[in-house]
Amino acid sequence: MSASTVERIKIWVAVKLGWALPGRMLEAIRGFQATEADGVWHLHRSYQGLTDPRHRSIVFTHSLEEESHADEFARVYKQSSEYGLSPVRYERRTLYERDAPAWKSFAYVHVGEVDATDRFKAIRANLNEGPLRAALETIIDDEEGHIDLTHDILLEMGAKPREIRRELRRVRLARAWENWLRVGTRMADWVITLQLGLIYYLVGPFVFLLARKKLRSVTVEYDNNHLKQM
Amino acid sequence: MTALQISTQPPQPEPRAKLLGFKVLGVSYGYHDASACLVVDGKVIAAVAEERFTRQKHDANFPTFAIEQVLEQAGASIEDIDVVVYHEDPHTKFSRVLTASFAPFPSSRQEFVNSVKTWLGKKLWSLNGLAARLRISPKKIRYLGHHFSHAVQAFMGSGFDEAAILVVDAVGDWSCTAMFKGRWVEGKPEIERLVEVAFPHSIGLVYSAFTAYLGFNPNDSECSTMAIAAFGRPKYAGKVRAILGALEGDHYTVDQRYFNFANFYKGAVTELFLQEFGPGRDARQPLDFSSLDSAVDGVFDRVVDADQQRWADIAASLQLVTEERILQLGQRLHEKTGLTQLCYAGGVSLNCVANYKLLNEGPFTEIFIPPDPGDGGTSVGTSLYASAVEHGGLEPQDLAYSPYVGVAYDEASDLEVIAHLKPDHFLQYLKRGVIGRQGGRWEHETYASDEALADQVAERLLAGQIVGWCQGRFEMGPRALGNRSILIRPDDLELALRLSTLVKERAAYRPYAFSITDKDALEVLDIAPEQVAMQRWMQYAVPVKPAAQAKVRAALHVDKTTRPQVCSAEDNPRYHQLLRSFGQRFGLEVVLNTSFNPSGYPIVATPVEAMAMFARTDMDALVLNRSIIWKQAPIEDQP
Repeated sequence: MSASTVERIKIWVAVKLGWALPGRMLEAIRGFQATEADGVWHLHRSYQGLTDPRHRSIVFTHSLEEESHADEFARVYKQSSEYGLSPVRYERRTLYERDAPAWKSFAYVHVGEVDATDRFKAIRANLNEGPLRAALETIIDDEEGHIDLTHDILLEMGAKPREIRRELRRVRLARAWENWLRVGTRMADWVITLQLGLIYYLVGPFVFLLARKKLRSVTVEYDNNHLKQM
Repeated sequence: MTALQISTQPPQPEPRAKLLGFKVLGVSYGYHDASACLVVDGKVIAAVAEERFTRQKHDANFPTFAIEQVLEQAGASIEDIDVVVYHEDPHTKFSRVLTASFAPFPSSRQEFVNSVKTWLGKKLWSLNGLAARLRISPKKIRYLGHHFSHAVQAFMGSGFDEAAILVVDAVGDWSCTAMFKGRWVEGKPEIERLVEVAFPHSIGLVYSAFTAYLGFNPNDSECSTMAIAAFGRPKYAGKVRAILGALEGDHYTVDQRYFNFANFYKGAVTELFLQEFGPGRDARQPLDFSSLDSAVDGVFDRVVDADQQRWADIAASLQLVTEERILQLGQRLHEKTGLTQLCYAGGVSLNCVANYKLLNEGPFTEIFIPPDPGDGGTSVGTSLYASAVEHGGLEPQDLAYSPYVGVAYDEASDLEVIAHLKPDHFLQYLKRGVIGRQGGRWEHETYASDEALADQVAERLLAGQIVGWCQGRFEMGPRALGNRSILIRPDDLELALRLSTLVKERAAYRPYAFSITDKDALEVLDIAPEQVAMQRWMQYAVPVKPAAQAKVRAALHVDKTTRPQVCSAEDNPRYHQLLRSFGQRFGLEVVLNTSFNPSGYPIVATPVEAMAMFARTDMDALVLNRSIIWKQAPIEDQP
């Protein structure tokens, strides 16, 4: 079974089953908004690293498109949620060291665009009519354009086709590894959640009265007000 | 010398060869508003919030970029740093988190699991994490309790020799409100704890819970609660007073039956709260109030439904009781210390309405609130404190700093991009409601002097344009004080409405503020002359004189107050020049000033971020240092 088939099955399960649970679809939309905003951030970082004003103008325009996608997802979220949109806060990481060739960032962006387009298409295929589906129609059109655009930028910035192929392969491997790490983290998270749940019920009965007593204090007696050394 | 006479010219980054002093890096992160600050021999060299580099509002992650930037501003590397100081005691805080999550047993499993996961996974090891990520010896790391960090944040930059210190926020490690007394003895600060009110008795948490109940994001949109309070009557004040008790001796209590402070996953408020106050607001439900409505003697022609009015009345009641409690705390602190100078910090000190009440009706003659009094500013206070304690030899006035301690960017290479831009390409990506026209293009011009630039911008403002104004080093803290601002003329309600809908995407019930020169401040602001110097950083909502209201109507709230920035030539020369140039044409040296950020994002830092907002919104012109960029209409549309 190919990776894309696995991905499509995962998406079918998530959309048809997972999103039926309360709040799951909204959480996913919040994630899409964050991913698009993350794209804008990376593009702005790349912009700072470029010197050719023409390249910069292309990246700038591209960032405006991604920003409008983030806005679109935020709008869909706000239409559907009784709570305001509290943004996801990723720990941002730069893709490459400062002295790495500027074109390499676009290899990463290119792979991201391909993945996002495939994922959005698979989600659209499983969605009924509604605001999210309508938003995805436009966004998928744009993202398909971005796939070509980012590839063109790679060539235009002087990267050789062989270098591009090698970098794209490296980025795909890195992203696959990140995905596996994510799956592993999620599994570890389930185990820890289960363990902590057990600890809660085992320890709780013996300590909750003490905890309640402690919270009845109206002032803090312990003086923690000085400079300490680690 | 008092705090208010101290020169706060922004220090310029110094070349590395000169950077020989005692260097302290302040770091705060973990809950919200991560930041970093570099202090050398008691001088703030740079202080920045992580959100300005990650474009994630209130970013709490490890401030990688902020640290990188403050070091770069000084031409320093991490090896040059003598001491790193962290704003919290993670072990004490963990003990509170654990206690709070066990107390509601057996209904708090989710709270316990999620808290412990986060704490054991990361936060408990913050100090070790700091050493590892910065690759420095743990011996260089210092830390302070959370409220003590706020106390030093309030005191250290004040310039006062001796002052009462009040800290009011949501919750730190164990305390939620704290009183201290600070003074300088032989070149070193001494800060004595007087009282700490313990969790869960928290004014900040009560305010945030009401904010969530009113359909806004807690820890972000408390300003919206404060804004709609002006549209209500405090009909529920009695009920709120019963919940947020009056000061008894040195402390107050909060009736916990109304809130889930120790069990967040059950929602901010309890069933009992809903029985008392009625159903809360769903974020999708409209709030039709507008600070830009015309009103006669406080009566508006706009009619809102009963639920909306009830929410505004509840907000008004909460605001009133919050003000009463802050005032009581101030009075008690004054009784305990006998001092008339106050340093005030913590998230609640961002409540500009309560601040003015404390200033105007409280026992203090001078109040110092740092430019960033929330968690983000603790990195500044703690690094100043560590510098003074460990290095010594400093005087209080040596430590005064201005908010302009961020990063500056040159715009020359960004201007080169303009020739290659094709605005038609991004017409379909404009913000909703913004109408772009095919064939338009961008133009730009750079001016040789501040005077020439100011004249050009003043003409545009007078003509009713919306101008983005991006200058020099960006501000530390949540206020745009003329270095990352959006400006319009202050008397035009329709223009302000356009700014709200097509640029800021800002709810109409939220009022704007203005910047005014020190020369014209008393002509407009209905305050005592000695209070003018305290209005530099938009921290007090003050009344405006009736005779001046029409001239600044778009920057007034419905109660005819505003949150002014009184700007002197010493504070911000280029912005002051603009105010003067505009004043020559308008008759008053004042402009409406709002922060330069799209809704939901932090204030812009770099030229490209400013240009992106300029591109997608209905802004007419963008000023980057001494250059102006403007949108040229298509040929056929030109007059």
